[in-house]
Amino acid sequence: MVEKLKSASELTNLRERIIANRDPSKSVVSICIGTGCTALGAKKVVEVLGEEIKSKNLEERVKVKQTGCLGFCEVGPRVIVYPEEISYFKVKPEDVPEIVSQTIMKKDVVKRLLYVDHGTGETATTLEDVPFYKHQQRILLEKNAKIDPKDIEDYITLGGYDALPKALFQMTPQQVVELVKKSNLRGRGGGGFPTGRKWETTRNAPGEPKYVIANCDEGDPGAFMDRSIVEGNPHSIIEGLIIGAYAIGAHEGFIYVREEYPLAVENVNIALGQAQEHGLLGENILGSGFNFTIRVHRGAGAFVSGESSALISAIEGTVGEPKPKYVHAAIKGLWGKPTCLNNVKTWAYVPLIILNGVDWFRSIGTKNSSGTAIFSLVGKVNNTGLVEVPMGITLRNLIYKIGGGIKDGKKFKAVQTGGPSGGFIPEQYLDTPVDFDELTKVGSMMGSGGMIVMDEDTCIVDVTRYYANFLSDESCGKCVPCREGLKQIVGILNRICAGSGREEDLKTLDDLSELLRDASLCALGSTAANPLTTSSLYFKDEYEEHIRNKRCPSKVCRDLIAYYIKPESCQACLICLRNCPVKAIAGEKSIVHVIDQEKCIKCGMCIEVCPFDAIEKLSPAVPPTASYGIKVTPKKRR
Amino acid sequence: MSEEVTLAIDGKEVKAEKGTTILEVAKANKIDIPTLCYNEKMTPYGGCRICMVEITKGGRRKLVTSCAYPVEEGLEVATNNERIRKVRGMLLELLLPLADTGPIRELAEKYGVTKSRFEAKPTDCILCGLCVRYCAEVKKVNAVCFTGRGTSRDISPMPEIAPDICPICQECNSLCPAGKIVELTQDRHLLSIPISKKKTIASG
Amino acid sequence: MLNAPMKPADDRKKPFFVGLRMTKEERSILDKIQEKVGLTKTESLLKGLEILSEYYSLGLDQPPLSFELKKLEEEAIQHADALKRIRRREDALKEIIHELRIIDQIVDKYNDKNALIQILIDIQNKFNWISKTAVIWISERLEIPTSSIYQIATFYKFFTLTPRGRHLVRVCLGTACHVRGGPKVMETVERTLGVEQGDVTSDGKFSLERVNCLGCCALGPVIVVDNDYYGNFKTADVGKVLSKYS
Repeated sequence: MVEKLKSASELTNLRERIIANRDPSKSVVSICIGTGCTALGAKKVVEVLGEEIKSKNLEERVKVKQTGCLGFCEVGPRVIVYPEEISYFKVKPEDVPEIVSQTIMKKDVVKRLLYVDHGTGETATTLEDVPFYKHQQRILLEKNAKIDPKDIEDYITLGGYDALPKALFQMTPQQVVELVKKSNLRGRGGGGFPTGRKWETTRNAPGEPKYVIANCDEGDPGAFMDRSIVEGNPHSIIEGLIIGAYAIGAHEGFIYVREEYPLAVENVNIALGQAQEHGLLGENILGSGFNFTIRVHRGAGAFVSGESSALISAIEGTVGEPKPKYVHAAIKGLWGKPTCLNNVKTWAYVPLIILNGVDWFRSIGTKNSSGTAIFSLVGKVNNTGLVEVPMGITLRNLIYKIGGGIKDGKKFKAVQTGGPSGGFIPEQYLDTPVDFDELTKVGSMMGSGGMIVMDEDTCIVDVTRYYANFLSDESCGKCVPCREGLKQIVGILNRICAGSGREEDLKTLDDLSELLRDASLCALGSTAANPLTTSSLYFKDEYEEHIRNKRCPSKVCRDLIAYYIKPESCQACLICLRNCPVKAIAGEKSIVHVIDQEKCIKCGMCIEVCPFDAIEKLSPAVPPTASYGIKVTPKKRR
Repeated sequence: MSEEVTLAIDGKEVKAEKGTTILEVAKANKIDIPTLCYNEKMTPYGGCRICMVEITKGGRRKLVTSCAYPVEEGLEVATNNERIRKVRGMLLELLLPLADTGPIRELAEKYGVTKSRFEAKPTDCILCGLCVRYCAEVKKVNAVCFTGRGTSRDISPMPEIAPDICPICQECNSLCPAGKIVELTQDRHLLSIPISKKKTIASG
Repeated sequence: MLNAPMKPADDRKKPFFVGLRMTKEERSILDKIQEKVGLTKTESLLKGLEILSEYYSLGLDQPPLSFELKKLEEEAIQHADALKRIRRREDALKEIIHELRIIDQIVDKYNDKNALIQILIDIQNKFNWISKTAVIWISERLEIPTSSIYQIATFYKFFTLTPRGRHLVRVCLGTACHVRGGPKVMETVERTLGVEQGDVTSDGKFSLERVNCLGCCALGPVIVVDNDYYGNFKTADVGKVLSKYS
C-alpha cells in the first residue's frame, strides 16, 4: 500500500529513501521498448536477457530497466549498461549472453555492438560519444534512457516532482505565470505563441471552471517527438500540467493522445494512477489544499482533430471539427470556459524552468526562441531519429553534423519542416538558423518539429502531391476552399504527374493557393498552400519539366518513367524474370532480357533484385526499342 | 451587458450592440452581404465562406466570416473590395460545377463567373448544412446528418427516422441553396447513399 | 407540398425510442410494462428479446410482438447475416442480447455522454466494428440522437460500420515512410491480398488500411499486423509476414 504524500518534506524523504535503497554499484541495463525498438524485436531481447541473468544467478547484482525512446530508432534495439554507460545498438537476442558475460560481469566492451560512425569509422563507447547524440542538448529527452515509464520512483529519483512543491509552496500562482512569461517559452505545437501570455489570458478570463489540456495528437506524419515523451516520460508532462493548473486556477485537465499510439496511452494511464496513489494528483495535493485531476482522452484517427478548436470539440464528445475561431480558447474553450491548450512538449519544459530558472532557459537558444527544440529528423539522411537541439542551430549542422549527411552519398535537394503545413527549403537556405521566426521568413514554419530531408531521387512534385492528398483526406470537409479547393489541387497534380499537365495549371494552382490562405476556416486549410507555394517558388523547373517535357527529373512519377534493361549489362540470370509480378519480362539463358513496356506496371521489383545493376529508369518514358534475341556479353560480377 | 460600439462598414459609420455579428449589423443597416449557408434561425456555420469580409484591426487586415465575427469598437469593415470579390469569384468557380442552379447561379453571374476551370460531379449539393442544422436545431428531429470527412463528406438520412418524418415534414426544402427539393431514400444501408436530386422517396 | 404540422418535438419526453418509431399507444404499453415489472426501458427490451428467443427455440413461430421487439428482432437477423454466421432466429437473438449486455458494461464504465468517442473506441476494439444495433443501443443509453453517433463513426478513421477482418493490416503512409517506399509496400500488399485499402478480404481474414503515422518514422517503411510492428519492411517479405496469420 502506497502512502499518500501529505507534504513537500514527505516527498523529499521518499526520494531519499528510494535512493538509499538503490545500490549505486548495482549494474542497471536499460533497454528501450518504445514503439520503434519494439518493431525491431526489443521485447525478445528483454526476454532473453531476463533468462540469461536468472540462469547466471545475477538477479541480485543486475537490474533490467525497460525504458522509453531516445530517438535513434533505426539502430535499435538499444541497450545501455550503467553505471559505465556503455551503449550497444542493433542488439539481437543472440548477443545477450556475451553482453552478460563480458560487460555486466567483467566490465568488458563487446566491440561489435558499439556504434560505428559511417564517415570516420570510429566507434563510440558511451552515448555521448555517438556523434548523433554528442551535438544535442537533450534537456527533455535525456531521462528517457534512465526511466522506466511504468515506475514513478525512477522519475522521482532523478529529481522528478521537485518542481511541484516549489511552485505550490514557495510561489503564488501569479508568480508562476510571471516566471513562465519571463522565460520566453513559446508553444511547441507549431504556432509558437508565447506560453506565459496564454496562461495569463486564461487565468484572467472570466468563468469557472477552467481547464488545461495537453495535446499529444501529433498528426504530422513523420513526427514522433510527442510519442517518445508520452511513452518514455509521462510524468514530466503530468508535473507540468499540475503546475500549470495551479498557475491558471484549473482543477481539471485532459491529456489527448492519439489512438495510433497504444503504448503511450497505456503508459500515461499507468503514470496517472501512480501519481494519484502518491497524492500528487487528486485532492489536497501534497497537503497544499490544491485539487487537480487529469483524464485521458483518446483520439480516433483524424489529423484535423489536433487543431485546438477541433480537439476541444472532440473532448466535448462531438465530432472533432474546427469552429470559426474568433474568440480564443483561452477565453472560451472547453464547454465555453477558459481553457489553456498546449502541446505536451511545452508542458514538459515547465518543471525544468521552475527548477533551473529563467536565466538558464534563456541562455539556451536564440533571443526570440528560448530553449531547445525537438525535431524528428527523417528521410534521406544517414542518421534518422529524434534530435533535441538548442534553437538557433543551422539546418546545415542538423542535417550534416547530427544527421550524418545524405544517405548513400547522394545530393541534397530540400528539407521540409513543419509537416504538411510547412514548406520546402532548398539548398541556398541551409545556413538558416532554426527558430520560429527564421523558418517563417523562408516560407516554411517550425510546426511541431517534423523535418524531412529529400535528395536528388525525390520528386518535389510527387511529394507536393502527397501532401495535398494527405490534407485532402484529413480535411474535415466543412469549408469550401479546403474541401473543394484541395480536391481540385490533387486532381491537377495527379494530371501533372501523369503527363497530362497543362500550361495554365500553374496559374490555377496559384489561384487556389491564394484562396486557401485567405478563406479557409482553420489552419489546416490556410497552411495547406505552403508546400505548393514553396515548391513552385524554389522548384518551378521541376513542374515545367513535368508539364512541358513529360519528364520527371528524379524518375519517380510512374507514368513518366520506363524501365529498361541495358543489353550491354544484362547477364541473363533470369532473376528479374522470375520476380516480375506481371510476367512482363521475356528472356532465357544467354539471351538479354527484355521488358514488355505494355505489361510493365513500374513496380520496381526488377531493379531491386537485379545483381548486375543492369536495369535503369528512363524519363521521359521513351525507352529505346528493345529487340529480342541479343546475346549476352558476359561480365564478372562486381 | 449591452454595450454599444461604433464601427465602420464600407466607410459608413454605424452603431451596434457589442457581440452582434458583422452580418447582422450589416443587415440592420441595409448593407448587402451575400450568404449561402447562413440562416437567422440557426447558429452560424461558417462553411460556405461567401460572406467573408475584410476587417482592419490594430493596423492588420484579415478576412473573416461576417456571419460569425462579433463586432468591436473601432472595427473597420470592407464588404466588397477587390480581394473579397476575387475570393467570392474563386469560391463560386469551385461551386458551380457542383450545383449550377438557383441562388448559386445568381451569385455566380453577379460576380462574373460564367464558366469554371474545374470539373466536378454535379451532385447539386454544396454541403452547406442548412438541412442538417435545421433538422437538428429547429425541428430537433435529427433525421439527416453529415457523414464522413473531407472529400467523402456527405449528408445521409437516418433510416430509422427519415422515411417516416421527412415525407410529412419537408420543411428543409425551402432552405436548399441549390434550389432543389431535398429528396430522401429509404434504404437501410444509409451511409453509402447521399442526398441528391436523383434519389426518390420510396413509398411506405 | 405538404406542410402538415409534425408532432412538436418537445411535446413528448422523447420523440423516438432510439431510432425506432413508436406510436403513442405502443409507447404507453411499454411504459405500463416497465412500471409493472420495475425495470428500466433497456432492461425491459432485453428481457423481451430473451423471452422471444426461448419462444423460437420451442419451435413456435408466430409470436405476438410489440413493435419495438419486432424491430430489434429484424436488426438481430441482419446483424447475424452481416457476420455471416447463425441462421436460426433464436441464436441470432441470443447473440444480440449478449452484445447489448457488453455494450451496457462499456457505457456504464464511463456513464457520461461526453465520453461518446471513448465508448465507441472500446466497442470497436471489442467487436471489431460498430454495428447498427450498437448505435441504436448507445443512442438509447446515452440519450443522444443516432445522427451524432453516425457522424462520429464516419468522421474518424478508427471506426468501421462493417465488420473488420480477423487481422488488421495497417501500412504506414506517413511522409517519412512515403519517401522511403511506403506506397510500393501498400501496392504489394494490395496485390497479394487481392483487396484495396479500406477493404476486407473475401474470406474475412484480413482488413487492409492505410495509417498516417505510427511514430516509427526512423524505421520506414513500417507495417503493423494486429499488434505486431514490422520496421524497415521490404516488399519481398509481404508474403512471408502475412502467412504467419491464420
